[in-house]
Amino acid sequence: MIIAQLDLRLENDLAELEPLVRALDFFCETSALPEKVAHRLTMAVDELVNNAVDYGYPDRRAGQITVSIRHRGTQVEIELADDGNAFDPFTAPAPDLTSPIEDRRIGGLGVHLIRTLAAHFAYRRENGRNVVALAFTLDA
Amino acid sequence: MHIDRFVEKDVVITAVRGRLDSSTSPKLDEFMAVIPDGSSVLLLDFAELTYISSAGLRVVLKAAKLAKGSGVTLAICGLIPPVHEVFDVSGFSTLIPIHANRDAALATLG
Repeated sequence: MIIAQLDLRLENDLAELEPLVRALDFFCETSALPEKVAHRLTMAVDELVNNAVDYGYPDRRAGQITVSIRHRGTQVEIELADDGNAFDPFTAPAPDLTSPIEDRRIGGLGVHLIRTLAAHFAYRRENGRNVVALAFTLDA
Repeated sequence: MHIDRFVEKDVVITAVRGRLDSSTSPKLDEFMAVIPDGSSVLLLDFAELTYISSAGLRVVLKAAKLAKGSGVTLAICGLIPPVHEVFDVSGFSTLIPIHANRDAALATLG
């Protein structure tokens, strides 16, 4: 069986991560994605959902996050949308990648990983939602 | 995630199995917060680590900083290709010695 498409709707709650990961694993397996692509895809969704839940709803209101994944030809396309406060993750400053251990700053690597490993990334604010579109090529 | 710790050739080995992400990394963080008395080399064996996110990298960097500050060597071994890619892109491969597997690490460190 090949599953070419996955659509998920989550609450803005970190408890959703475990079933989310299970669904992603299932998708990657049934789509027979190469292990690097599967890891990149899972990591990107993991990082962005964590960020949305942690920072998008400072007033602790209930929110909704959707994740759509399409396996199309030679790439996998992902769209994540959340109704949290407007925030473009790709405006985050570049992390420190060169200092020696004692000076290396901790953190800021999640978005850097996505920016580096995705073939395409884009952000838009649409109808009160943050929408991040990503594509990963299958030839990793 | 599952963590095992044992000593071989005076190297304190911490073997991590499973996923290192935002929900599991606090457990490894707690584990690595104390360096066992008298140890001079710490080895993180990630051969059975199937996944790492930035939350896992944060714990690894914290452990490396603690080791450096305590005059202890910290090394890593056994990264599967997707995890190795994350270490490369994060600039960790030039920061922390990475060995192909435990035997290779012990041959160098032990």
